Amino acid sequence: MGETIASKEMHEYFDGLEARLKEAIEIANRARAQGGDPKPTVEIPLAKDLADRVENLIGVQGVAAKIRELETRMSREEAALEIGKQVAEGVVGNFPTKKDAVEAAIRVSMATLTEGVVAAPIEGIDKVDLGKNDDGSQYIRIFYSGPIRSAGGTAQALSVLVGDYVRRGIGIDRYKPREEEVERYVEEILLYKRVASLQYTPSEDEIRLIVRNCPVCIDGDPTEEAEVEGHRDLERIGTNRVRGGMCLVLAEGLALKAPKVKKHVNKLKMDGWDWLETLIGGAKSGGSAEDDQKSKIKPKDKYIRDLIAGRPVFSHPSRPGGFRLRYGRSRNTSFASAGINPASMVLLDDFITNGTQLKVERPGKAAAMSAVDSIEGPTVRLFSGDLVRIDNIKEAYEVRPQVEAIIDIGEILINYGDFLENNHPLMPSPYVFEWWQYDYQAACPEKIPEEKLKNPSSALALRLAEEYNVPLHPKFTYLWHDINRNEFEALRKFVVENGTFLIGEGILKLPLAASFEDGIKPVLEKLLVLHRVKEGETLIEEALPFVLCLGLDNSLEEKASMPETDDMVEAAGVLSGFKVYPRAPSRIGARMGRPEKSDLRKMSPAAQVLFPISNCGGITRNLVSASDYTSCMNGKIGEIEVELGLRECPACGKETYFWRCECGEFTNPKLSCPRCKIDVRGAETCPKCGRKPTSVANVKLDFRSIYKKAFENVGEREKMDLIKGVKRLMNGQMTPEPLEKGILRAKHNVYIFKDGTVRYDMSDIPLTHIRADELGITAAKLRELGYREDIYGKTLERDDQVVCLKVQDLVISYDGAKYILRTAQYVDDLLVKYYKVEPYYNAETIQDLVGVLLIGLAPHTSAGVLGRLIGFTKASVGYAHPFFHASKRRNCDGDEDCIMLLMDGILNFSRAYLPDKRGGKMDAPLVLTTRIDPKEVDKEAHNIDVSARYPLEFYRATQEIKNPTELEGIMDLISSRLGTPEQYEHFMFTHNTSDIAAGPLKSSYKTLGSMIEKMEAQLSLANKIRAVDAPDVAERVLKSHFLPDLIGNLRSFSRQRMRCIKCGEKFRRPPLTGACPKCGGNVVLTVHEGAVRKYLEISKEIGERYGVSSYTRQRIELLDYDIRSLFENHKVKQMGLSDFMSGSAR
Amino acid sequence: MNEIDIIRAVIEEGYQISPQAVELIKLSNSPENLLKYILSTIDDCVFVIEPEHVDLKSFEASTTFSRVTSGAPPGTVSGKVSGKISTPALDSASEPVSDSGYESSSEPSVEPDIVSAVEVPDSNPEIEPEILSSQGSNSDFDSDPVYDSASDLVHDSVHDSVHDSVHDSVHDSVHDSVHDTVSDPVNNSIHDSIHDSIHDTVHNFLPNPVSPSVSPKSIKKQASSFFGTTGPSSAFKNDLRMNSLFSNQKNSFSSSSRDEGIRYIPGRNPVTVLSDITGHSTCVGEYMQFVQYFRDRYSRLSEILRGRMNARPIESLKRRSFRRGSDGNTEELSIIGMVSDISTTTNGHKILSLEDSTGSFSVLIRNSDKELFELASRLLLDEIVGVTGSVTNDGNLMLATKLLQPDVPNSVQRRTGSHGKAVLISDVHVGSSQFLEDSWLDFLDFLKGESDSEEMREIAAQVRYLVVAGDLVDGIGIYPDQEMELDIPDVYEQYRKAAEYIREVPEQIHVIISPGNHDAVRQAEPQPALPARICADFPENVTFVGNPALVDLDGVQILIYHGRSIDDLVASVPGVSYQEPAGAVLEMLKRRHLAPTYGSRVSISPEKKDYFIIDPVPDIIHTGHVHTLGVQRYKNVLLVNSGTWQGQTEFQKRVNLMPMPARVPVVDLANFDVKILAFD
Repeated sequence: MGETIASKEMHEYFDGLEARLKEAIEIANRARAQGGDPKPTVEIPLAKDLADRVENLIGVQGVAAKIRELETRMSREEAALEIGKQVAEGVVGNFPTKKDAVEAAIRVSMATLTEGVVAAPIEGIDKVDLGKNDDGSQYIRIFYSGPIRSAGGTAQALSVLVGDYVRRGIGIDRYKPREEEVERYVEEILLYKRVASLQYTPSEDEIRLIVRNCPVCIDGDPTEEAEVEGHRDLERIGTNRVRGGMCLVLAEGLALKAPKVKKHVNKLKMDGWDWLETLIGGAKSGGSAEDDQKSKIKPKDKYIRDLIAGRPVFSHPSRPGGFRLRYGRSRNTSFASAGINPASMVLLDDFITNGTQLKVERPGKAAAMSAVDSIEGPTVRLFSGDLVRIDNIKEAYEVRPQVEAIIDIGEILINYGDFLENNHPLMPSPYVFEWWQYDYQAACPEKIPEEKLKNPSSALALRLAEEYNVPLHPKFTYLWHDINRNEFEALRKFVVENGTFLIGEGILKLPLAASFEDGIKPVLEKLLVLHRVKEGETLIEEALPFVLCLGLDNSLEEKASMPETDDMVEAAGVLSGFKVYPRAPSRIGARMGRPEKSDLRKMSPAAQVLFPISNCGGITRNLVSASDYTSCMNGKIGEIEVELGLRECPACGKETYFWRCECGEFTNPKLSCPRCKIDVRGAETCPKCGRKPTSVANVKLDFRSIYKKAFENVGEREKMDLIKGVKRLMNGQMTPEPLEKGILRAKHNVYIFKDGTVRYDMSDIPLTHIRADELGITAAKLRELGYREDIYGKTLERDDQVVCLKVQDLVISYDGAKYILRTAQYVDDLLVKYYKVEPYYNAETIQDLVGVLLIGLAPHTSAGVLGRLIGFTKASVGYAHPFFHASKRRNCDGDEDCIMLLMDGILNFSRAYLPDKRGGKMDAPLVLTTRIDPKEVDKEAHNIDVSARYPLEFYRATQEIKNPTELEGIMDLISSRLGTPEQYEHFMFTHNTSDIAAGPLKSSYKTLGSMIEKMEAQLSLANKIRAVDAPDVAERVLKSHFLPDLIGNLRSFSRQRMRCIKCGEKFRRPPLTGACPKCGGNVVLTVHEGAVRKYLEISKEIGERYGVSSYTRQRIELLDYDIRSLFENHKVKQMGLSDFMSGSAR
Repeated sequence: MNEIDIIRAVIEEGYQISPQAVELIKLSNSPENLLKYILSTIDDCVFVIEPEHVDLKSFEASTTFSRVTSGAPPGTVSGKVSGKISTPALDSASEPVSDSGYESSSEPSVEPDIVSAVEVPDSNPEIEPEILSSQGSNSDFDSDPVYDSASDLVHDSVHDSVHDSVHDSVHDSVHDSVHDTVSDPVNNSIHDSIHDSIHDTVHNFLPNPVSPSVSPKSIKKQASSFFGTTGPSSAFKNDLRMNSLFSNQKNSFSSSSRDEGIRYIPGRNPVTVLSDITGHSTCVGEYMQFVQYFRDRYSRLSEILRGRMNARPIESLKRRSFRRGSDGNTEELSIIGMVSDISTTTNGHKILSLEDSTGSFSVLIRNSDKELFELASRLLLDEIVGVTGSVTNDGNLMLATKLLQPDVPNSVQRRTGSHGKAVLISDVHVGSSQFLEDSWLDFLDFLKGESDSEEMREIAAQVRYLVVAGDLVDGIGIYPDQEMELDIPDVYEQYRKAAEYIREVPEQIHVIISPGNHDAVRQAEPQPALPARICADFPENVTFVGNPALVDLDGVQILIYHGRSIDDLVASVPGVSYQEPAGAVLEMLKRRHLAPTYGSRVSISPEKKDYFIIDPVPDIIHTGHVHTLGVQRYKNVLLVNSGTWQGQTEFQKRVNLMPMPARVPVVDLANFDVKILAFD
């Protein structure tokens, strides 16, 4: 879309990247020209811009030009809707029927929404049709299929909106569902939830609401085997089977993303979508003034509904003691990732670390975690009785063994942009230093150093409050709102009667035993009044503000009487005469989602070369043993029978299985009709029967000689134990990879993915600023890579200067770097030994890799993004600029995706290897985006705020629970910088962190062994955290994990399939002969007693230990009985076990 | 006898054997007899036959003993048996499908309608059972031991299916006579133990059992003295062959192995539980048990078909070459197989994959043959069918011309001569918030004879049995979030409440309760009866049985099955719907199987015996589960699906199912007329 708007420095950066890319492609082209691959040139085309991608993807002429034109005037979503409308109306493109036009319109629109990156617009929408309402009018039916998943919820939901927008344009009526159709949707979606799975399952009423009101009929092809039980054979629904695509769009699209759809509906001023309001429910935005007054943020328990064993709950919904919300952004948060203090990570038993996904109560569904040490850590009670707050990780490790209870789990840093992105009303901000600073600056003319302001003495805080009427500093503001009036009065009375205040030291002494008796200690803990216990006394340091807030003077005498209010914050203010604000009005519940990931990608089973060896290589698919394979006693050694595509040399007419003939010519597939067995001579269909021809044949391959030859070719010695091939190729023409590549991969111990590339997976974490010293590199190296200034505009000289990360630069884990190093060495070997050209990387250590180009690629997409490696981290994550993640269509809520070496991609990737099935083209680098244009990345990234400080208005607005869109104007958002050079540079953050990778190295979820161990850890943590109700956790885990597992396994035992251990054949029921009819091998069960019993004992134990409801305990009891009844021979036990005797005793 | 033969023989019986044991058997003087001996005496719960199961001493003893006692009374036996079997009366009066074993030998008091060799007339329903039994006991005392010896002969010489049935007859007769002699008040536990001890004695071949003090044990003594009888009488053998031939012709020979005890609950309204899993589940979850389960299904159902077609093993089709004769016609062949796959070709023909214990074969059903194709499209996976047709030249495919299901023979006659009424209900769902308590209390009032209408009171006075086909309570944890729809969230409370209700049923009415998928027993079918802890709350007049259970209600046989498989049938057989559930039961009957398809909605426990097989053909099949009412008749079998006592649930709303609550079918046991009573 025209020129990149950027500063000179950024232009140099992009040009530098592209020059290196060009150079690499030239080398790869030279290598591939040797003919060692299916095609003699690099097969990853470079993507120009979005408009082109869309036009090529859908194939509607003139769309690209129109998109470019529209994008100058409007946002991409608007443009997407508009281009859809124009296609439907026939302004762009030319279609024979209205139906075709509508279909193309929806596809184009959807492709534009998804940046032309994903396959969903082609593979995810099967067709669009017109149906007839009972009143005779027409309506639109959109048929979704499985791959619609790749579009993501928002685009799925918007595609429905597009359908509506388009139909209005051309005068088609809305869908008027019949009542039985509505119920069919309800049944079907709930059934889909059972047979497949849904991230989010709408309630029955939500489904009814959506179906009754959605103006477009969401339809789909059957994707699952399961059939609905009621509501069968409906006239307007073509199948009784479950339509997966439909379920996804309705549940994960419309239902889940209703707030986002609503945003667009409002923008476009479309009517007929008011029902979204009902769907969004609690988060009403447009209420009247008095509604706003009442509108309190209510606890949401959605995130905790499906609890999984071993993934602990950190806080129940909005409960005191849970995460305290803090607004702001650190350099490693935002974009659906949040920050917590590394001390919290440690004290929460290492379950959370960098990259760990947390399911959160709000604003979104999930967030990845990052270490931010400038916010407050957890407050814990030690066995000694001390109440201490731990803000740094070292101290956290020291006190961990002494922690008796975690009274408060610390702060969580969430940026404004995440609230905006999720359209979640702003929750009241706590009274934090950032806000206090505004009040201080407004009231106090004195210049006090910031360090002192951040951590003032009680004297300074009181002086500022008394002299300038600055509100009481957050440090001395306690959580008055967490106690009730009785507790307040009891505390006050207790301090008056039993307290001793040492004026000089500022220490308040309270007798420990009495404070236990009167229940005062728990109140102090609730207030987070830190204290130590010494010689039978509770000592509160810097206690004067506390004493004053209780309405006492420094001789502990009541100087004011208790005001008539139930608001204890107000009471503290009135009693002390200071302005006292709520310290933790917003708590955020959270539980662990999935752990962070940083691991090499292996297919399952893993492969090192795409070469088929059928069963000849044993279960490890070992090429080495395949080369020694004999089919029978006197069979030829190394001759194997496999499926391969027959190919023919156009020059000498020889038949072969490889893409290159011995004479050097490239060969063509030899196609024949699978039924008529005739050679179709390159025709698209069989001339006789019209079937699709194929070149695949079962061939006897002299594998041994190919194998020997390959070793010879690369000059390696045949001393390998294991080279992993595949059983059967998945690609259409059965094109194998050259064996040589497998030999070299085995040598360097790297594995490949289905497209022939080597990949490494990591959790996505955003990063906007870096320091050389935390990335394992030097400032000099950074300068070499084109970094010049730090964030303050100073020349980059020292390793600890903070600089703004360039958009395509990546930081990867050390483990990943080691794998990439091996890959680089493999690529060099490949270049030298196989392609016979110069090596490219020459890398000895990971340091040599700094500056190499990588390709980033996310699952479900087909477009890679060019990146550059600039450093390493000990965290098990992949750090990149949010734009980089967004250009792969990822946010950072716990997603993971992969990187590959550029040279590996362009040398080894070939479309010929891709599986020939629906979705086969996903997760493959079909194109490569070379330059990130913020305008063309997922729009989610535009909602990132990049200021150094949030304005005072913001904090005030949060108190009114305003909608975040109301503040868009005053926040420094990416969206406001688009189209200027600032879109790439001069980002800031509000909260710094001294080490982006601080915290445990691995989540204990990964280090703990069995599920039972994890569960023990989960419950022991639940017992420690004040904000967590352990019996509830136990009950939920039983209900949502163990019991369904037990029931499911019990059921599948009794309906199970059987499997042959020799050939792997599966049987719906056991063959009557007992043995495998195919190979005569032993047939075994697929579900065993052990699998059924797995969680029984632990369930029983947990049920008892945590006193779960009798309903749940009875369920366990019945399951126990069921399992015993099924697996115990009653005849053996009959005499002993009266349980199994029926009522026959009578 | 070589190793392979031994292993094969063992596997066919559903056991496995260790190499050491094989070796041991091979070393014996007469490995064949030893193996047979082992197989006949081994405990059912053994899976792998180890050397310690090879009891050489007892084997020796048995052979010696038999030599000594050989030649005693076989003559009488043969005479009697043959006489019985050839009695023409059996042909017409008794069930052709009935187990020739137990029926031919059973007591008049239990099976009043069986015509036996001694021509005991159909029992008069007016006569009290007590009287009958005392009469019967006299006449049977002599014959019992005779059967026993017969069974032993069979052990060694004839096909084991025959063995089983005859063997059963032994049990039954011994057993029956036992409780005939025991006077009424003697309770069942004694009765059971007696039965067991007899069982033991029989198997242990004790030459001189310790003389028991209880009178019935004298029978055992007598019985055992005949046990070792060998020297197979040729006459007897012939008779057995005749027997099997005869049965085949009538398509009714049953090979059910019935090693579990038959329970007889005496009283004014006696009940005999003929087939029930309770206390006999042998499943421990091994692969071979699944194989055995399906083999039993195949062997028993194919036996029914075998009488109607001359089928050959599938393996034999493969070895042959099927060249067309000079006249161009191919030979027609028949096979009997279990359907393992059904697919449709691109041209719309159907291909069945049929399997027997020797192999599998594909059968093509052309869509041009409308009738056949129609039949084929109603076929279910895992049912047993016989197919006749010609095999293609390449020997890979059979072109079917005829399809045969086991079905009920037309000659089935209903049992007559009983009296009174049986009330059939199911799906009470006590504890559910949708439980229709008012209607239910009305129903109880009716049973108590407290109805407003005279007519109802008259009916109530005749009620002898109340049969509950599952889901007495709503249970817990049956579906997600069930607790939201429960009034009584405690399952034991639910049963206590149910027991309270049942206590109101007049005590002369015999209540039979079978479990369903909501009950507190294992979900895998066959389900055993409710656990003792729950049963304890219920009054004396309740008999708990498993699911399914074949029960004799004073001369009328009723097969009780909860009906889980109806869900499968509705989904896969065209025309079968929840609105007419009896249609689904009819489909079961045609297949002679209550739950043909494996792996779908019915969870099974792989038992040694397939309890779902409908054999013998009962007079009534009573199902529930789907909450709708349906009554049909098929070839003299009454099919009843009783409704429910629960209003429409959230789930039913979702799947669009309208229940039929508070409708009660009442069956007249004399003429099988059905009246539907409404209580809403």
